[in-house]
Amino acid sequence: MARVRPDAFQRTGGYAPISSYAAIGDGRTVALVARDGSIDWLPLPELDSPSVFGAVLDAGSGGQFALCPEAPYAVERRYVPGTNVLETVFSTDTGTVRVTDALTVPAGGLGPLRELARRVEGLAGSVWMAWSVEPRFGYAGVSSRVGWRAGVPVATAGGDALAVCAFEAGAPEFRAGVIRGRFEARAGTRALLALSAAHREPLVVPTRGDAEARLDATATIWQRWSDGLTYAGPFREAVLRSALALKLLVHAGSGAVAAAATTSLPEQIGGERNWDYRFCWVRDSAFTLNAFLGLSCAPEARAYFWWLMHASQLTHPRLRVLYRLDGGARAPERTLALNGYRGSRPVRVGNAAAAQLQLDTYGELLQTAWLYASTGHRIDADIARRLAEVADHVCRIWREPDAGIWEVRSEPRHFTQSKMMCWVALERACELARRGIIPDRHAERWGTEARAVHAFIETRCYSQDLRSYVRSAHSDELDASLLLGVLFAYGDANAERWAGTVDAVRRGLAQGPLVRRYTGDDGLAGSEGAFVTCSFWLVESLARTGRVEEAVRLMDELLGLANDVGLYAEEIEPATGAFLGNVPQALSHLALISAALAIAQETTR
Amino acid sequence: MSAWAAIAGGFAGTLVLTTTLRAANELKLTRIDLPFLLGTALTTDRIRAKALGYVLHFIAGLGFALIYYLMFLAIDRSGWWLGAIFGLAHGLFSGTALVNILLPLVHPRMGTPSTAATSVALLEPPGFMMLNYGLQTPLVTLAAHVAYGSLVGGFITLAG
Repeated sequence: MARVRPDAFQRTGGYAPISSYAAIGDGRTVALVARDGSIDWLPLPELDSPSVFGAVLDAGSGGQFALCPEAPYAVERRYVPGTNVLETVFSTDTGTVRVTDALTVPAGGLGPLRELARRVEGLAGSVWMAWSVEPRFGYAGVSSRVGWRAGVPVATAGGDALAVCAFEAGAPEFRAGVIRGRFEARAGTRALLALSAAHREPLVVPTRGDAEARLDATATIWQRWSDGLTYAGPFREAVLRSALALKLLVHAGSGAVAAAATTSLPEQIGGERNWDYRFCWVRDSAFTLNAFLGLSCAPEARAYFWWLMHASQLTHPRLRVLYRLDGGARAPERTLALNGYRGSRPVRVGNAAAAQLQLDTYGELLQTAWLYASTGHRIDADIARRLAEVADHVCRIWREPDAGIWEVRSEPRHFTQSKMMCWVALERACELARRGIIPDRHAERWGTEARAVHAFIETRCYSQDLRSYVRSAHSDELDASLLLGVLFAYGDANAERWAGTVDAVRRGLAQGPLVRRYTGDDGLAGSEGAFVTCSFWLVESLARTGRVEEAVRLMDELLGLANDVGLYAEEIEPATGAFLGNVPQALSHLALISAALAIAQETTR
Repeated sequence: MSAWAAIAGGFAGTLVLTTTLRAANELKLTRIDLPFLLGTALTTDRIRAKALGYVLHFIAGLGFALIYYLMFLAIDRSGWWLGAIFGLAHGLFSGTALVNILLPLVHPRMGTPSTAATSVALLEPPGFMMLNYGLQTPLVTLAAHVAYGSLVGGFITLAG
């Protein structure tokens, strides 16, 4: 357990550092718990629903559930091994308490629709604990009422309700919409705070015994799940934590994987690069399936693949950049009247990138199907026909400029990585046709077009001066996403051009162990931090191009940059190590898993 | 007047009543979920409770239609407007006595004002006119019951 110095945690204007957040979840939604015990983010009832606690986006009015000692304290915390159940130990001059936080998983019997359980155990001495629940429904945009039901304080707003059940945790009282209490935690005592949430139905108020049992059962369920992970290679602890973080983002209702648990945590403090990541990106699909398969998560792999094919059916043969977690294609973007994390406005929900053209998604989809089929999973005739039609579609559109993997909001361009992924799409289609998995009627055309894409890339997207592939045709800019060419086997990984590109990316985009996304314009004001995903892509590229020792060294450095419970946000500011962007970020953890798997494979080769 | 017409009207009326409440639920006007409330009296399994609750709700809808029928017979008069008045009275009775007072007495998982420490999870009690489930709940439930009564009365009258 990493001990955190009291002075290492400071809120700025009421905002906790993004790196101070641990995530807990139940497969439907995720809460963020700051190191000071405050839950500053909780959308209900689903991950992509409006928040009821949103202090991370507006410290003044967003709402939170605070729980900590009244006296100054030091903090240590960890996840219960193999779980997404968080343990925070507060030590004061007078005693020590342990807080165990979880969004509980239903375990039979009548339970709340969603339940947040916080157990407080006195470990030594005596500690006065204070708690306050400040629910702000609908991203703090809906007025709520607080009343009592059978002696339990309840906050309601429209179709939502929240009951605050305090067991041995002081007598709740409420004033100005805030429910609060205080109690003394002595050695050997145990208190419980359980929030029961209802959505469009009457509340279920749990008994203490039921809530305690669900909390214990939740830890067991997580442990059982992680026991099923078979990975025994290098960096095992980080890989398992990443798998658990990823599982938090798997939407149990559909099998979709959210890109992150939050919206609008900024890529630059005070900047406008604030996006809603509570959607499933096709871009992440191949990494997702590769991770699930590599860690023996076959049920998740199957659910995800079928969700992907089901969601994309609505727009077939075109692909949207992202889909909602329920499989819907519409994700209209709007801004909220919140101050934003440390003044980073606008706060957006929805994502306008959904309507962009991103050619790389087609490569991701065909790569995903290829991975799925090549590990013995069956692809039925209807899906096979649709995959062939997607390949036909790629033949028609690969010559168009697009927004690229990074969803730039400047003019569309001929991004090199997009073309590479079109090549991947057509090559994988040819391979699937050769194996008789998808219809081969147009396979010859796919092969011809793949050669044309290859010629385009090799003649227009490579700079002799830089000795590297470049960001877009005829440009002299660099882009870390080019490394995906190595990862998805565009050409020979040991070719001179790839060695040069890996070096150029490291030379031009890396700052220490961290790698920025690209050089050049993206149509947005301001700058951003280094992209965690790109940093792990560099690790994997080094491993795939025969530089395993360098890859291991870089991996070690990157693992040291995770927060105290092993999570990553989207970005890290190289100068300070501060986290930026949404958290926890699926792609960061997927890239970590992929890099570890690659090192394991290359080491044993 | 025909009992079969009353049953047909009760079926149509319950369909409309259930749909109205569900639509109001989707529109965030209320958190009332009658099938859930009824079903959880018999089982703690959420899915089974909702399925059972729908069945019970439809049976209750048919039963009340027969009561309406007997009342029409007793006064030797019927009509959609009379059904609407019965529906209004039915809605008021449901909100003030049936769901608010009687259901908590027989429901093993619903709290009452005298509930103390319990060994089972409790459902949120509905309160007067079921206001605990949202301020619009009385209006929604009354409107739904008026529609129910109109349909029962209308069906009985149409059948002669």
